[in-house]
Amino acid sequence: MHLTDEQLNEYLDEAVNERAQIEVHLSACGECAARLSTLRKLFNEMESLPELALTRDLAAPFMRSSGLPAQLPAWLPLTMALQAAAALIVFIAAAPFVIRLIPDIETPSLSTVLIQFQTQWTAWLDRLSQFHMPSLPAFSLELSGLYLMSALAVVSMLWLVGNGLLLRNQW
Amino acid sequence: MNAPSDRDLILLARRGEAGAFGELVTRYQTGVFNVCYRILHERGEAEDLAQEAFIRAYDRIATFDVEREFGPWIRRVAANLCLNHLESHKVTAELDEERDADSAELPEAVQEVRERSEQIRMALASLPAAYRIVVELRHYQEMSYDEIAAQLNIPLSDVKSHLFRARKLLAEKLHASD
Ligand SMILES: [Zn+2]
Repeated sequence: MHLTDEQLNEYLDEAVNERAQIEVHLSACGECAARLSTLRKLFNEMESLPELALTRDLAAPFMRSSGLPAQLPAWLPLTMALQAAAALIVFIAAAPFVIRLIPDIETPSLSTVLIQFQTQWTAWLDRLSQFHMPSLPAFSLELSGLYLMSALAVVSMLWLVGNGLLLRNQW
Repeated sequence: MNAPSDRDLILLARRGEAGAFGELVTRYQTGVFNVCYRILHERGEAEDLAQEAFIRAYDRIATFDVEREFGPWIRRVAANLCLNHLESHKVTAELDEERDADSAELPEAVQEVRERSEQIRMALASLPAAYRIVVELRHYQEMSYDEIAAQLNIPLSDVKSHLFRARKLLAEKLHASD
């Protein structure tokens, strides 16, 4: 029994289990060895086909700065979430200060609210400018004020950097 | 100074440096074009689809696994694109009779090699598209039967029969012109 075409094909494709048996037959049968060698020659000829050259440069669209839009890094959209989270944290951190700075108002008229707000606001600004916060028994005042200011500064930085990156990457 | 690795270029491209991706294209464009040409046998279409393969790769660069080799991956992307193209455009364009250059002034031995290459190309071009793609994946992209079956979503038995018949046809054509 000679080897089938399928066996020879699979042998050259390295897809047979019975390799040893096939090799035993090939070493004893000149006819099958010759068929294998013809097939191998075809493989070699196909695989040594020289490559053709391109007539245009496919890299050109990627080299031009105005070509394709720059890819947004995957982490960039995260800066928006980060900004929101930071703002929320600062809001929560600032809430005790704000609540204490704005006194309780019992259903006042709009003008009273405005006046009171303005009074408190100027007073707050005043104290802020003197870097001297109203007395808060539970906290160390200077430290809390500093903490609030630094938190605000960090959020502003995050906001600016994040938006700067987003804008830059639109071009 | 060593040239940056493919991996470095991919990471740079991810950071928005289009030029880094351009460098990657420069490295692989001839190989990718030849994949397309062997499947389509029409230069204009092959160049267009090779370009398309790189554009798709660029779109997917953010999710590309940098531990994979870029070369084999982009060649598979190109083969797939060409296959889809053949399936959606059943009309076959005039096949190119590609000549590398004006061969009139070349030594005889070189001319013989060129003629043989041309015979092989024409024999490949004459195969049914389904055979051509299997030949491409097995002989030029060195994929196993199983990988080809998975890539083309066809049974293993079809991979084998397409491949064996393709080789028979090629052998007949090339023998006839020996
Ligand atoms: Zn035999």
